[in-house]
Amino acid sequence: MTAEDPLPTPAAPRTDGYPEPESIRTTREDHRIAWLAALAIAIHIAEAALPSPLPGIKPGLANVVTIAALVRFGWGTAAWISLLRVLMGSLLLGTFLSPTFMLSLSGALASVATLGLASRLPGAGFGPIGYSVLAAMAHMAGQFTVAYYVFIRHPALLHLVPILMTAAVIFGLVSGIIVLMMLQQMRSPQS
Amino acid sequence: MTRADLVAVILAVALLPVLYLHFWSGGGFAEQVRIQEGNQPPHYYSLARDQRIRVHGPLGDSVLEILHGRVRFVSSPCRNKICVHSGWLSRAGESTACLPNRVSVQIIGQDPRFDAINS
Repeated sequence: MTAEDPLPTPAAPRTDGYPEPESIRTTREDHRIAWLAALAIAIHIAEAALPSPLPGIKPGLANVVTIAALVRFGWGTAAWISLLRVLMGSLLLGTFLSPTFMLSLSGALASVATLGLASRLPGAGFGPIGYSVLAAMAHMAGQFTVAYYVFIRHPALLHLVPILMTAAVIFGLVSGIIVLMMLQQMRSPQS
Repeated sequence: MTRADLVAVILAVALLPVLYLHFWSGGGFAEQVRIQEGNQPPHYYSLARDQRIRVHGPLGDSVLEILHGRVRFVSSPCRNKICVHSGWLSRAGESTACLPNRVSVQIIGQDPRFDAINS
């Protein structure tokens, strides 16, 4: 993990008479978020190039990064990564503030909120698979709610709900299994 | 995989048949009925919601009823009551009207049946 990199050293003091610029202090946590968000954005953009059978259905593999971050570093990191991914992904793809972005954002907010609740669950708690399935379903539900109530309020759209949810459950399971395998690889000693 | 995971996955999978049953049964719930009075712009009502609709025409009020995805004239201030006698309309494309009171009713849906066949 690059998150263990040392923090950058502060710049040398200025000698040209100008006032010292306010430097932004970055923590190790910030760097970790930036690295992981960059990874998620790369996956997000690669996935945007894939054709989709139905609008709204896509594997959502970028969520692998979010879920792994949730398990390893906690909800705050995961929420940052998810929202940064939506913002930067839309800027890079040129969909910022378009309906696509609104849907993406509402899905991300719904899934981040659900993960927040799920990670505060007392007891044994969820593992990657549970988190991933819940996040995928919340994402789809949030996205569909906005699509229906804000954009196309047509009853025929409701026929899509079962198909979309089936896709969400399947892709959530797949992402969860990927996270599980990935975390096991990370935990096992380097060979 | 924790126990909570297992519960979440089982609940998620169990939810899917419920969704299919809920959103795919009945079929015709996306249908609407179009009611037009004279030259006024038409009004659209969903056939999914049971209700009574009062339409004001030149002779008086015609009363329509939507019940279980069907629609009919309950009463109309016309003389021969052809509209009332035409009974329930339930299929996309079916229509009836009370010409004296200038009220027309048509069911619109995703797959309209033929309204006429020309041999």
